[in-house]
Order: sequence, then C-alpha cells, then structure tokens
Amino acid sequence: MAKQLHELNFEFKAETPVKFPYEFLHYGVVGSGDMEAIMEKKEQNGLVTIRVVTPVTGFDNVWQLVLQRFVDETGIADASIDINDNNATPVVVSLRLRQALTEIAGGAA
Amino acid sequence: MTSGRWEQLQGKSFLESNARTRAIGLVDSGSFTELAGPRHRLTSPHLPLMGEAVEFDDGIVTGVGLLGKKPLFIASQEGRFIGGSVGEVHGAKLVNIVRLARESFDKMLEANPDLPEEKRPAVVISFETGGVRLHEANSGLLAHAEVMDQFQDCQGKVSIIAIIGSRVGCFGGMGFVAAAADAIIMSQFGRLGLTGPEVIEEEMGRDEFDASDRALVYRTTGGRHKYIMGDCNCLVKDTIAAFREALQDVLNKPYSRISAMRRIGSLENVTRQLRQVSLCSELSPKDSKDVWRYAGNENPDDLADVDFDTFLKTARRLVLNDLEV
Repeated sequence: MAKQLHELNFEFKAETPVKFPYEFLHYGVVGSGDMEAIMEKKEQNGLVTIRVVTPVTGFDNVWQLVLQRFVDETGIADASIDINDNNATPVVVSLRLRQALTEIAGGAA
Repeated sequence: MTSGRWEQLQGKSFLESNARTRAIGLVDSGSFTELAGPRHRLTSPHLPLMGEAVEFDDGIVTGVGLLGKKPLFIASQEGRFIGGSVGEVHGAKLVNIVRLARESFDKMLEANPDLPEEKRPAVVISFETGGVRLHEANSGLLAHAEVMDQFQDCQGKVSIIAIIGSRVGCFGGMGFVAAAADAIIMSQFGRLGLTGPEVIEEEMGRDEFDASDRALVYRTTGGRHKYIMGDCNCLVKDTIAAFREALQDVLNKPYSRISAMRRIGSLENVTRQLRQVSLCSELSPKDSKDVWRYAGNENPDDLADVDFDTFLKTARRLVLNDLEV
C-alpha cells in the first residue's frame, strides 16, 4: 500500500497542570491545510493523551514539539484530544488548538 | 450556546459561515441538538485507505431544532471538507435526517390527528456541495437516489426547503436533489446547477464556458439568474438572519401553499419546464442576459451589477404562461 492515513499517539504531562474543565468540545473544519480537534475530560493522573490522524509522514517530531508546547503553555491536564489533520502547518495546529479553548471560554456549548 | 452568541450569529455572512454555524443560526436560539455529530466519530471508512484526511462529521451537520413551534430537521453541508461531497456516511446522515422528519410527522399525527400546521415538522437542507464524492462514488450515488426516495415519501407530509448561499454552491447530483425540494431560498452568492463551471470548461473547452470568468459564472449559475428564471423561490441578503426570516416566511404558509412552490412533480410544473425548453430553442440565447431581456428587463447589463435592493425592486421574472409547448 502506498498512501495510507497515519495515526500518531502522544502522551504529555504539563509542568503546572490545570484540570480540563469541559466534558466535550469540538472545534475546526478539516479543510485543506486545516484540522479539527475534539477535547474531552479524562481522568488519567494529570496526563494528556493526543491522537493525531494525518496523511502527512515524516513530521512526527514536529508534532511532538508543537503539541508539547501547547500542553506546557495551557497546562491542560486529565484530557484526551483527538485531531483530524489535513496538512495543517505547525502554526495552524497551534492556532486551532488555542482557538478551541478560547471558543469554549467565549460561551459555546 | 448562549443567546448572546446566537444573536451575534444572526448578523454574520451566510457565505462565510461554516456548516455548524449555519445549522445553529437557522433555528431558534439554543434549540439546536446535533445528531450523529463529531462526538460519535462517524468518519468515512473509505478515505483512510486512500490516504485522505477524514472528518468526525464526514462533512455534514445533521440535527433538530425549533422554528417557533415547528420542529426543523436540519442538514448542513460543509464545503471546506472535500468540497462538501457526498460519501457513504455523509449521504447516510442526509438520508436519515429526512427519514426521521417524516417518521416524526407520522408519530405526531398518530398521537394527535388534528396536528396544527404550525407544529408540522419540516426539513431544511443547507446545500454546499459538488455532488458525489469520487473517492466513494458508488455509495455516494446511491445516497443521492435514497435522498430523492425520501423526498418522494415526504410528499403530502413534510415540507422540504433547500437553502443555497455557501461558497461551493450546489452542483452535481445534489443540484437535482435541491431542485426536487418544495422551495429554494438563495442569496445572490449562492450558485445552483448540474455540471459545475470547471467541469463544463474541461469537457467542452473554454469557448463553450470560461470558468475563470466570475461574472459569467454568476450570471449563469448565481442567485440573481435563478431568481429571474424561477429556479429559486426567494432571493435574500447574505446574512444568517435574512435566510432565517425567509425560512420563517415560507414555513408560515400552509403545507399546500408550500408544495405549490415546487418546480417538478405535477403536470402543471412539467408543462412549465417544457415551455422553458421550447423558449430556449426559439430564442437560442447566447447569454443569460438574452433571457433576462426576454423576461422584460430592458437593461439586462445593469441588472447584473446593480445593488441587491435595486435588483429585487426592478428585476422582472420570467413568465411562461402564454407559450405553446
């Protein structure tokens, strides 16, 4: 098989953890160069687990860095994040994850 | 969703809004409940094998909401995900929201034989699609047929309203599906057709149709042209509130008046369509402006460019009553 979707799994622990306060949130559209994320509360001793499904190969390390940074800066803890990616750049990934959190803070259901 | 945010949505451009925003904004504040949404992670089983990105809602938002006392069954397509194309899951969600509306109507009628018109369910589909998703074309095509089947079963029971005002427009097989709705509401940025401009150019050459000529594309497939031709029933401003208002106007009518807005499905309608075909062979229009002129618009050149309000006030719509078939 030549082309396949790839699944990457990560686990992070924030330095100063903030419990994820929402049961469920969804943000984004899987347009070209874009992505969507589902974030859910999940008790797992402060861990955040992130699953990324993407057509892109060879950037596992970049994902690791971008996601680590998001976890460190937001302190997100005890949560599970599901990402569907369609060739989003690292900048877009950071932006969308942040927007997901601010969107919910703004009052979306 | 708090009411403050819903209020904000109303002023938003319909064209710029994503599928979920449209669905939430078209129904009453706080009344939208998504069914088979991202939470259920119903992604396409076919795309991963081809290395194509998937989406948790497969490019369509389905759910229920209220418009006054009326339950609305909503489907809203997302053009940014593979052009809003209809794959297996996408199609199944669309088919089943229509089926759910009809089954709800049946149950409501059984519980209350004097079900008032104002409580009668309706289906609203916000189209943004190029039709079949080529990656899963067999199931996509089948879904088109199944939706049409559902539309047929809804006759005499549940009104189906098509809404077209999003970036991708409504093309391919879904153009047929939209045409089979009871009423079509469009904005001037909405586009409706069967074969899309790019495909016509690719197949027939640029002399036949120049897909890069936006003015040509809009006056052939756009809301203004469809309004003059009678291919859409209402033409509205590009805000969620304007679409919602038009939706209310249409759905406030009794069922029989709404189904009288159809383009197909009766001898009268077919006769009208045939008149349009014979007019085309008589007139041999080189451009939609030729038809606009025939419809009684003396300066069709201006009509494409005037502002929206002036257009609505001055545009004369095609009347075909006195033509021989």
